[in-house]
Amino acid sequence: MPIQGRSGSARVRGERRAALLAGYRPLAGAHDELMAPDGSVHPRWEPLLAEWSALTGEQLHRRFGLADRHARDTGVSYRIHGDGDPDDPLAGERPWPLNHVPLVLTGAEWRTIAAGVAQRAQLLDALLADVYGRGSLVAEGLLPAAAITGSPDYLRPLQGTPGAGRLQLYAADLGRGPDGRWQVLGDRAQAPSGAGYALENRLAMGRAFPDLFRTMNVERLAGFFQGFRAGLVSRARRVEPRICLLTPGPLNESYFEQAYLARYLGFLLVEGGDLVMRDGRVHVRTIAGFKRADVIWRRIDGDFADPLELNARSALGVAGLVEAVRRESVVVANGLGSGVVEARALTGFLPRLSRAVIGEELILPSPASFWCGDPQARAQVLERLDELDIAPAFRTTDEASGEPVPVASLPAAERARLRETIARRGLDLVAQERLRLSTMPVVQDGRLTPRPMTLRVFAAATPDGWQVMPGGFCRIAESGDGRAVAMRSGVRSSDVWVTSDQPVEPVTLLPSRDAIAIRRIVGILPSRAADNLFWLGRYLERCEATLRLVRALLGRLINADDQAPGHAEAIARLARLLSAWGAAPAAKGRSIVAQAASALYDVEEYGSAAASLREARRTASVIRERLSVDAWRLFGDLQRQLSGPRKPSSEGEAFEIADSALKSLAAFSGLSQENMVRGAGWRFLDIGRRLERGIATCRFARHFAEASAPDNCLDALLDLTDSQITYRSRYMVGVELQPVLDLVMLDPYNPRSVGFQIERLHAELAALPSLSDNGMLEEPQRLAVRLSAEVRTAEAARLDRASILLFEQLLMGLSNAVAERYFLQNARPEGARATQLA
Amino acid sequence: MIYDIRNVTTYAYGRPVPFARCVLRMLPREGGGQQVLSSQITVSPRDAERQDGLCFFGNRTTTLTIARPHRELRIEMTARVAVERGAAPFPAITRRWEEVAQLALAAQSLGADSPAQQLYPSRLVPLVDEITAYASESFARGRPVFEAASALMARIRAGFSYDPEATEVSTPIREAFARRHGVCQDFAHIMIAGLRGLGLPAAYVSGYLRTIPPEGQPRLEGADATHAWVSLWCGPETGWIGLDPTNDLIVGDDHIVTAIGRDYADVSPLDGVLVGPGSQKLDVGVDVVPVA
Repeated sequence: MPIQGRSGSARVRGERRAALLAGYRPLAGAHDELMAPDGSVHPRWEPLLAEWSALTGEQLHRRFGLADRHARDTGVSYRIHGDGDPDDPLAGERPWPLNHVPLVLTGAEWRTIAAGVAQRAQLLDALLADVYGRGSLVAEGLLPAAAITGSPDYLRPLQGTPGAGRLQLYAADLGRGPDGRWQVLGDRAQAPSGAGYALENRLAMGRAFPDLFRTMNVERLAGFFQGFRAGLVSRARRVEPRICLLTPGPLNESYFEQAYLARYLGFLLVEGGDLVMRDGRVHVRTIAGFKRADVIWRRIDGDFADPLELNARSALGVAGLVEAVRRESVVVANGLGSGVVEARALTGFLPRLSRAVIGEELILPSPASFWCGDPQARAQVLERLDELDIAPAFRTTDEASGEPVPVASLPAAERARLRETIARRGLDLVAQERLRLSTMPVVQDGRLTPRPMTLRVFAAATPDGWQVMPGGFCRIAESGDGRAVAMRSGVRSSDVWVTSDQPVEPVTLLPSRDAIAIRRIVGILPSRAADNLFWLGRYLERCEATLRLVRALLGRLINADDQAPGHAEAIARLARLLSAWGAAPAAKGRSIVAQAASALYDVEEYGSAAASLREARRTASVIRERLSVDAWRLFGDLQRQLSGPRKPSSEGEAFEIADSALKSLAAFSGLSQENMVRGAGWRFLDIGRRLERGIATCRFARHFAEASAPDNCLDALLDLTDSQITYRSRYMVGVELQPVLDLVMLDPYNPRSVGFQIERLHAELAALPSLSDNGMLEEPQRLAVRLSAEVRTAEAARLDRASILLFEQLLMGLSNAVAERYFLQNARPEGARATQLA
Repeated sequence: MIYDIRNVTTYAYGRPVPFARCVLRMLPREGGGQQVLSSQITVSPRDAERQDGLCFFGNRTTTLTIARPHRELRIEMTARVAVERGAAPFPAITRRWEEVAQLALAAQSLGADSPAQQLYPSRLVPLVDEITAYASESFARGRPVFEAASALMARIRAGFSYDPEATEVSTPIREAFARRHGVCQDFAHIMIAGLRGLGLPAAYVSGYLRTIPPEGQPRLEGADATHAWVSLWCGPETGWIGLDPTNDLIVGDDHIVTAIGRDYADVSPLDGVLVGPGSQKLDVGVDVVPVA
């Protein structure tokens, strides 16, 4: 039997290549990236086709599967704008649609693109400096003032401020026309997104085709990010600056990317509420008090950055940030106000501005563009309006109406109205020529099919000048001419491979060997992250407690021949506790299985396992950058296990579900115990778990261990606290009240006892930083010490409902004290604007 | 005319506010026929940290930081201002309005008083087709800009009812326009929307009116509180001229300007961030007394 070689025979490879390309035809009138009009393949794609032809269809499919799995495992996702549900930040997230065919570009072609994008970054940066500085371009008549003032991103309070609008990261959206030339379709200067997605696409493709990167000498992306980070560092006043990525929060469409980049670049991910102005400087609220922020890489629009001097309605920004920028006590990148150069109104002026400002012709042109506020341009536009596209001259808040529309596609009445609007308020509109986008292959139903695409290319200001990412974020339209390619449903993206003539040196983000200072605990924990980790711990533990209740209940039902005294009583109490817990509706008239099903699946019941899991995921999604891929995968498992409405058909089935969900939770605990660094973050997760477990255990003890409790109730308590084996190994007699209470409440060696939780809490709190060095205990520590003393000196013989309740209340008090001391205190912009007017 | 102005604004909070940072725009502006002879702001709590400055539009700002719990914020502004604006131009000799729109578009300055700053919709003044159509009835082809704007102002005064109960600061202009009622802020916003809709540069002005009318004249609307009106750019020769649609008045020496912006959001007397629980009660008292 012949060995199935990876490469197969030349004939087989030829057949596979033909099969891959079968039916692939460039669209008439458009440039195609893969194929010339005569059907020949552009040589730069040959190594890729050769490698793919060496694989069987099934092997290739499996490689694609590797890439998809990588994307899924890292939780890469994006959000459709306006798709958010504040109660469940994960609700609107979409899995990442990766096209398995990369866009291949030669190094020679890339050099033109890179030079063009760097030139444009330089030009726009100079333009911004002039707009917010001397204003000479406007004064000399090279740029109409009204082409600037119409932009909502023109931030007047930044006028005359050093660094206003200064670009650190710029992106150009490119398209390739039918003549094969690349053109700039749009400028992204506010807070460009997509660089992280480009990186994510690269990692996914690297997983699938590691060899191809070597054989084709594909340029690496890491060097670009290194340069970007160095650029930010070089602008700070301190040697080891604290760099924050300011995010609008988990409801933003590209929150995943922001969390991902923060982790990749080693920046602190913060929301506006994490930052505060004190003494003219910006600080991060952390569990160790206010810590200075040196550089803020913002992913929020400039207008939202400061409710005092900019948009007073913004809840995303930092009050006083503009003043801090003015005092140069913080670097904001991109500089506030940078978004003004994104306006389409400017496009038509750029060729002459390029000549005037940097003395060069634009390397990359744009489709002809006419700002209708200019009388001559307006006249030209009205002459040939039907041949052009029409678009708003400035960013509008209405996302849907932002894209260019072919005038010819409008009904006659609307066209007439448009003419009237152009004559009356042409300043709001831009008319431009249409670019027929080039196409590239996508895998569709197992074959390659041409689709229109755009390419976003990134440039970073580094200490050595503008550096362009050798690659980019390539977006593919599903059909049509692909004028509006945004990351909306059904739109795929591709990795971008820039091939070099020579082997490529690997670059990583690690600094050179002699520059590494050894560190064990990295950074500081922002209060918001501490808050979310704490609640993540509490919700996970609450989920576990509910599952234990369900399992104990069903276990007793299944084991019907159990003749222990109080069998029925224990079942009744467990069912009652489920209702009291809020996990199931009031028990009256409902079967036990129905109660158990509610407690497992019903998110409407706030104490159900599914509801606790939802809350856990919500808190986790806000601190995404702090959780490992494995942790996310476990969330996925739990979600599958606990999602209804699949009703269990029997007690046995429901028991199995509770049991397997408990296993996944145990895996999560294992992960956090074994894989999380013992920093403050881990401590807050642990504090949350310990508090919740302590409180739940007190509650169980109150319900099942009063003086007259029947044996089976004590037995149930041992089940709920997972202490059966310990008890049996210690005591040969049956269950007795005092030994059970000692084991469940006081025993410091039983990791399930209240006493154990209290000792852990004591230790964790003692290890957290304190605000002052006066040697006084802070409130949480003080309470922990008291609890510890109480539990150590307590005796099982004297424990009763009242004393157990006291422990429970002290633990709740400790929870409040932790929240008050370490977490964000409800800071928000206040509409103090109301006033009386005549 | 010289005036003494006193404005006392008090915010009372339901519970103590531990930290507040806010920006005040209450001190009267210099220039434009107006001279500030003296002015000050007194704040309680007294240990509030203060910083005075000028905003982009040249309005005077006071930034306050109060870093201790307080239940009340009281701001008292007193000023003595001399006003002498001179006569407004004869309406019929101002430029044709289309010409003014064209000149504004060609403006070669990004300065605060450049007409280019006031051409576009702003946060509280969106462009509304109905309002533009309403305004255009006063703007026949080739009509002198000041004459047409005065006619528009007279129509707003005649066609809208003044009703302090009808609207709030947050009422959208669409609604005030549809119901033909409101207060000075609404009328100013509506008139600005109409003018900008026609491509004309129009600004929002906040300030005061003299409280006691000259003998034999009626007391004007809005004299007991902060007032608002419109400033229209009439071409490079004439510059900006004030129009008060609430009273159908060309702005002269009875008006004292506090601040100029694109709309109320730019000149709001207080914007701020408080830490702590919500509820607040506001009280404003105003006196404007001519002294000479």
